[in-house]
Amino acid sequence: MTKTTRIGVDIGGTFTDLVLHDDTRGVTWTGKRLTTPEAPGRAILEGIERLLKESGTSIDQVHSVVHGTTLITNTVLERTGARVGLITTEGFRDVLEMGREIRYDVDDLHARPVPVIVPRQCRIGVPGRLRADGAEHVALDEDAVVEAARVLVEEQNVEALAIGMLHAYVNPAHERRAQALILERYPDLLITLSSEVAPEINEYERINTACVNAYVQPRVHGYLNALESDLAATGFTGELYIMLSSGGITTVREACAFPVALLESGPAAGAMAASFIAAGIDENKVISFDMGGTTAKMCLVESGKPHIKHEFEAGRLDKFKPGSGLPLKLTVVDMIEIGSGGGSIGSVDDLGLLKVGPRSAGSVPGPVAYGRGGGEPTVTDSDLMMGYLDADFFLGGEMGLAMNEVEKAMEERLAKPLNLENRVVAAGIQEIVTENMAAATRMHLAEKGRDPRQYTLMAFGGAGPVHAYALAKRLKLNRVIVPMGAGVISAFGFLVAAPSVNDVRGYPAPLARVDWDTVAGLYDDMETRARALLLSAGGNGEDIVVHRSADMRYVGQGFEVEVALPEGPVGAAMQAGVRDNFERAYRDRFARSMAGYDVEAINWRLHARVPGRDISLAYSLVDTPAVRGERRVHFAGFGDCTAKVYDRYALKPGTRIQGPAVFEERESSFGVGPDCSVVVDANFNLVADIEGAPAP
Amino acid sequence: MTEENINPITLEVWWSRLAAIADEAATTLLRTAFSTIIREANDYSVVLLNADGETIAECRAGIPAFHAIMGVMTRHILEKFPVDTWRPGDCVITNHPWMATGHLPDIAMVAPIFHGDRLVGFSATAAHVPDIGGTPTMGATELISEGLLIPPVRIARAGERNQDFVDFLLDNVRYSDQVLGDLEAQMAAHDVCRRRVVEFLLETGQQDLVMLSTAMHDAAERVMRKEIEALPDGVYRSSLDADGVEGQPTRIECSITVAGDRMHIDYEGSSPQVNHSINCTINYTTAYSIYPVKILLDPHTRRNEGSYRPITVSAPEGSIVNARFPAPVMARHLTGHMLSCLIYQALAETVPESVIADSGGAPALRVQLVGRDAQQKPFSMILFACAGMGASSRHDGLSTTAFPSNSGSGSIEALEVEAPILFLKKEYRPDSGGAGRYRGGLGQDVRVENITGAPMRVALVGDREKNPPVGILGGAPGAGGRATFSHGESASLKSMTMMPADASVTVSFAGGGGYGPPAARDRAAIAADIDAGLVSKEAAIRDYGYDPTDTVAGQ
Repeated sequence: MTKTTRIGVDIGGTFTDLVLHDDTRGVTWTGKRLTTPEAPGRAILEGIERLLKESGTSIDQVHSVVHGTTLITNTVLERTGARVGLITTEGFRDVLEMGREIRYDVDDLHARPVPVIVPRQCRIGVPGRLRADGAEHVALDEDAVVEAARVLVEEQNVEALAIGMLHAYVNPAHERRAQALILERYPDLLITLSSEVAPEINEYERINTACVNAYVQPRVHGYLNALESDLAATGFTGELYIMLSSGGITTVREACAFPVALLESGPAAGAMAASFIAAGIDENKVISFDMGGTTAKMCLVESGKPHIKHEFEAGRLDKFKPGSGLPLKLTVVDMIEIGSGGGSIGSVDDLGLLKVGPRSAGSVPGPVAYGRGGGEPTVTDSDLMMGYLDADFFLGGEMGLAMNEVEKAMEERLAKPLNLENRVVAAGIQEIVTENMAAATRMHLAEKGRDPRQYTLMAFGGAGPVHAYALAKRLKLNRVIVPMGAGVISAFGFLVAAPSVNDVRGYPAPLARVDWDTVAGLYDDMETRARALLLSAGGNGEDIVVHRSADMRYVGQGFEVEVALPEGPVGAAMQAGVRDNFERAYRDRFARSMAGYDVEAINWRLHARVPGRDISLAYSLVDTPAVRGERRVHFAGFGDCTAKVYDRYALKPGTRIQGPAVFEERESSFGVGPDCSVVVDANFNLVADIEGAPAP
Repeated sequence: MTEENINPITLEVWWSRLAAIADEAATTLLRTAFSTIIREANDYSVVLLNADGETIAECRAGIPAFHAIMGVMTRHILEKFPVDTWRPGDCVITNHPWMATGHLPDIAMVAPIFHGDRLVGFSATAAHVPDIGGTPTMGATELISEGLLIPPVRIARAGERNQDFVDFLLDNVRYSDQVLGDLEAQMAAHDVCRRRVVEFLLETGQQDLVMLSTAMHDAAERVMRKEIEALPDGVYRSSLDADGVEGQPTRIECSITVAGDRMHIDYEGSSPQVNHSINCTINYTTAYSIYPVKILLDPHTRRNEGSYRPITVSAPEGSIVNARFPAPVMARHLTGHMLSCLIYQALAETVPESVIADSGGAPALRVQLVGRDAQQKPFSMILFACAGMGASSRHDGLSTTAFPSNSGSGSIEALEVEAPILFLKKEYRPDSGGAGRYRGGLGQDVRVENITGAPMRVALVGDREKNPPVGILGGAPGAGGRATFSHGESASLKSMTMMPADASVTVSFAGGGGYGPPAARDRAAIAADIDAGLVSKEAAIRDYGYDPTDTVAGQ
């Protein structure tokens, strides 16, 4: 039977989301099940079984299953990983715990640093030293390596091992030799080399990445192996792919070797879905805006691709404080995440000012409106009072919202202490949550030298569409797009992502003194590896696309700008082009450049992938009246308006509607003011254009 | 929005907007700076001020104490360049220690923000540049040998760069490319402030920042007054002995007077100024007194000048904490960083749950390595590494973490790429944390070998060798700092030594003081420290009365 069906599975903290799609048959089904943390595979198998039945698909029609999971993020956050040992260079075993030696919050005398991933007893230094250029200064003490491994395995009972030595990114010989020696004695021991997982300069971040990899590896091995055999038991003979933090997908084998690369696979899927939709309608400058119950995530999508970055902080003690987590060298979709969600709580601070978030009511007890015991007014409660949500049609009418309770809580908790009217406070919550998200977006774009006014906002997640219009107005954007199925759109990211590889080699050198043969050698090595991996992931060899880039800066600076290398063979001939590209990238970002200053490259990067898939998301409209009625809705700048309420599932492509209006769908609702006109495009996206905000 | 009627919602939104502007500008400065001191030691500041030169928003990163100087500095500059003389596109530069941040390498700039024709405020920055000229000797005895003094001058007038001045400056400093790069980074930060504040005014329809800054100052001041008022009235005293200079130890006396909602900090009785660079200007003394109080009493309110109004600081003129021009001040942090210790010791009985013991990094110990590589190219490198923090009523002190500054630590690999040195060790220093119910944070041992094949100069700038960081409320002192050379010499922490080829130096950073009596420490915590090698069994028996045969602790 031809295998044309693809399934995406996203295990989140609360729900396991599934999506089944078959372009040939024009079939799209979505499913949702409660996550089963004790045996995550169970929800997957049950979910797949149900989707197959509902869509009339047999298991042998399934070409592939693409899987993403928060399992790894949670393992780091909850510290439920393996007992890990670290073998490092003698004299430096505390580097891992000292970290960057800064206080991430200079206003908090009592702030604690993120706990180290490997306790001191399990960190052992061994003699053997390389110099900065990779030359051997002191030979590796092989007996000491063997003894260290013995202590760690037999006395400290470690389940996995990381090996991280100074300058190993230039010369991995000592790390590799140590690995070979240890495997001779403990052939089944899982070992991560810092020179393999993150071959970049900066020992703390590189070794930390190796340790986190080792920390999650035993769990991931067990989990993926079980999933593979469970799927096989159902008769599945297709491919199992794993979503990466970078937005690509990879094989189970690669995921088992470098599980740390899966940390952000869930959020990456949302950005990939937004990128896919943006590309489909030729929107080249998009800010994707994913707002859920506890956080909002913003990501820049340009020319159909999300921005990526090569560092990430895992397991933050305070989710919204940079520096409070474990810094990793890792390629991830570049998103900002802030504590603004539907469940974010409004409160009055010491100064008598109204604050919103980052504390969240979550799903339990949830907003006051849910009537599940939540007593503190939240953003969702304000949404209800302002008219964005319908008390009777929330979640398609499955959950009634308690307006009276909301008004009472708003009055008692906020309006009285602030000495303001109830509706003023509810509108104030909107204003503050909007400003918080706008500030984070402005900062994110400013760091990239971008002007938000040139961008289109693409909103999804349960709360994203609700707040999209106000956020766009505050950022002076003139267009908002709300794709169909805002609450489940993320899962489509799994279906459109393509097998890809991100690799890097650290070789810091002033551009004028770069040995281009060395660089060409590094790229040969990376490309050989990438091609082999992509072939094993279903690429055919000819469709592989390769991009090369370098992290560069002026000599003396400490922060790098990623610069694309010119096309063509790697060699000295590209030197002038690299310099030009650097100057351009630097000017793009900082609006200035330093003529005549020397430039240096630190890391050399390769990104290889096979082209993404094009899928069409077909929807069938319901045959009921499009207008549900009217209600009073508050819009900043216009006050209370009487807005028509539309059933989104009944709106045909080409329909044009002038605001004020509210568009309701099962998981979300989208409101626009009188200065906005909305068109339903051919893909059922709502495209809202705001007047009076011309592009600069 | 009418006058004197700015509601708590609008104030929150506008306040956070201005705070974000200062943060964005600070990021620009940090990312484009060339100086490792700015980058690794976070030695910079960015603030927004109103038209009277009072800070309204201060960046979160940087050196936290510095932000409190920016207002004073701007008002000094306004004395020379009154408000009505400024034009759009102006920028004034100075490094005058008695106006700005207390020593010559810190370049400060002030630029106006105009909205239409109206001057609505200023932005101010400070950043530590890699060199400011002068003689590379330890403990210069006069200011003039510490480098070039720049009185407030216009580095730009109405948008036009004062190239004559820039040329003059660059011809008088080492690493002039990097210095220029840092000046550009500061000016880029000023651009961000100006652009964003004007955008803010246009969007909110405000003509100026008067109403907003008044509301912000009043709110911040109100909270600080409330916190001070919660303290019992009285005079709280402490004193501290420091190594000072060779043969001339220094002493600082501190008395804190709490009267209603006001606090006055006075340093009467402190040692006279010395002929060595450890003198503080009153600006610096004030800033390093206010910061520890602010985070002790009101850690949550976003900082602005309003928070500082209820707190005044004084010190006798001619003392080490209020030196007269032109005293040498290059290493003023050796004295100024200690003020946080004095303040917390004085207030220990009053707010025991909030204070921390002396930190090993108060003051920070700096190590500079200067020499030539195999190609005879000169290099100069500052080694940043941190001592241990003092313990508190809640936790052991943080090991290897700077306080009250926030300098971090560079990567060993990156330092070895940049300079011909080889690190042999960077590890926790066992038994350096002061004993106590909560233990002081550990310092570290850093050993560096000279692999240049020729002698290399090692300059040490520190204190707390003979007077280690003390504990609080019954806690024991941490271990003091020290430096020892492999060729047999032991050097003072204020010294310059020529280290022979292939020799090495071990620098031991101090540990933090302990909190509360050591006998009250949880026995399991002592056992865990022994197990991890942070405290030796001998020290545990000696300092804590630990019994290794104790079955509970011995588990």
